[in-house]
Amino acid sequence: MDHYDLAVIGAGQGGLPAAHLAARLGAKVALIEMQQVGGT
Amino acid sequence: MHLVRHHAYEFGVRGVDPNALSFDLTTAIARKDKIVGGIISGIHSGLKKNSGITFLTGRAEFTSPVDIRLDGQAITADKSILAVGATPTVPTIPGLDEAGFITNNEALKLGALPASMIIIGGGYIGIEFAQMYARFGTGVTLLGRAPRLMPKEEPELSGQLEEILQSEGIKVHTSTEVIRAGRDDTSRYVISRNGEVEQRMNAEIILLATGRTARVDGLGLEQAGVDLNGAFLKTDDQLNTTAPNIWSLGDANGGQMFTHRATYDGPIAALNAVKSLGRAVDYRVVPRAIFTEPALASVGLTEEEARQAGHAVKVGSYSFAHSGRGKALGQNEGLVKLVVDGDSREILGGHILGPHADMLIHEVVIAMQGRSTIETLAKAIHIHPTLNEIVKSAAKAVQ
Ligand SMILES: Cc1cc2nc3c(=O)[nH]c(=O)nc-3n(C[C@H](O)[C@H](O)[C@H](O)COP(=O)(O)OP(=O)(O)OC[C@H]3O[C@@H](n4cnc5c(N)ncnc54)[C@H](O)[C@@H]3O)c2cc1C
Repeated sequence: MDHYDLAVIGAGQGGLPAAHLAARLGAKVALIEMQQVGGT
Repeated sequence: MHLVRHHAYEFGVRGVDPNALSFDLTTAIARKDKIVGGIISGIHSGLKKNSGITFLTGRAEFTSPVDIRLDGQAITADKSILAVGATPTVPTIPGLDEAGFITNNEALKLGALPASMIIIGGGYIGIEFAQMYARFGTGVTLLGRAPRLMPKEEPELSGQLEEILQSEGIKVHTSTEVIRAGRDDTSRYVISRNGEVEQRMNAEIILLATGRTARVDGLGLEQAGVDLNGAFLKTDDQLNTTAPNIWSLGDANGGQMFTHRATYDGPIAALNAVKSLGRAVDYRVVPRAIFTEPALASVGLTEEEARQAGHAVKVGSYSFAHSGRGKALGQNEGLVKLVVDGDSREILGGHILGPHADMLIHEVVIAMQGRSTIETLAKAIHIHPTLNEIVKSAAKAVQ
């Protein structure tokens, strides 16, 4: 099973900057999106 | 279209027959899709460049605070950030399901321009769609439950906006509750009530814009240990949910549901989750805008809110009717109103209805962020001829 430091659920307006910064801070990040990146 | 129809002649453009103009919704939607498509592919290429991010497609569901299942696969994560957004709230109105309705999700995907539309909800989403469809040529009825549209905005401004919408042919009904909906052979209908008076209204489409709810269906909140607070996720001021290893941001937390709030939350949630920095969010100065024409934008407290908070309130306002730039643009409607603490002279709120209000408000945003006094804004030299001069004039009008 794949293991991550951080899962970001939702690649919308808030999830994207959160995932990018977390990765820049060194975390291994899974960004999960069920519809379309960019969100609402 | 609206501009061409109403202002071309005034601006000296000849050869346009306003009666010969028509509008093709499909083309407009295709243009919108193309723009959005470009943005989405930009986001994907940004993600591909970031080797620290693995992008997974699927609907996430927590089976424990660290176990997440998504469409067929399972992963574990020490920590999580919920950035799940919100969905339209569907009120319980008898007959609504049988009548059939759309929400903002479908409102930008209609195959053909409807002849008529009833919009339920007098908030910013309802208002923006009302003006947009009315200008496209749809007969729009806008129903709001509160005594006025945008009840949390400065009454002078939301009142003036309501008049403008009505002057464009939108039928606005406030203090109006929808008590039933249905469908007959030819159209959909709602029965509304204003006091004792009941009224039946028909339209081709019913659009719901009655608020938003956190998108948490099937997310497995219980297994994650994350609690709700009403329709939204419960967080502390560091965006930590009731599960110590899970944070939450943006619309899912309620409050000011705007993109700029979600993008503000994002880095704070990341810093707290990854580096345990304990950063608190500060929502003291969060601007908001309704993208009508003219736009309505505001930040901070209304005059009434400032009084209720115990301030010795002073206000100043100034109308765009005095703006040379506004006259040149043919956009002279609206006003700027500033709310100030009379003792400290600190600016407590700014409210703008007018051309480019969504941009002008940032003068007040910066001033409030720096806790400037109203004198800073009043004394700052503004370029002539700009719309911004009206913000300065409103500042000078504060006693
Ligand atoms: C009609 C309309 C007009 C608007 N206009 C403006 C405007 O002019 N200016 C402004 O600032 N804001 C506007 N907003 C609000 C703005 O869209 C939101 O505030 C913003 O998108 C919130 O960002 P978010 O990251 O919280 O959620 P979203 O951007 O909605 O992103 C959430 C994402 O999470 C995904 N997701 C949810 N659950 C799961 C799950 N279980 N598994 C996987 N993925 C999941 C969703 O598919 C979605 O992509 C508007 C909203 C609407 C509806």
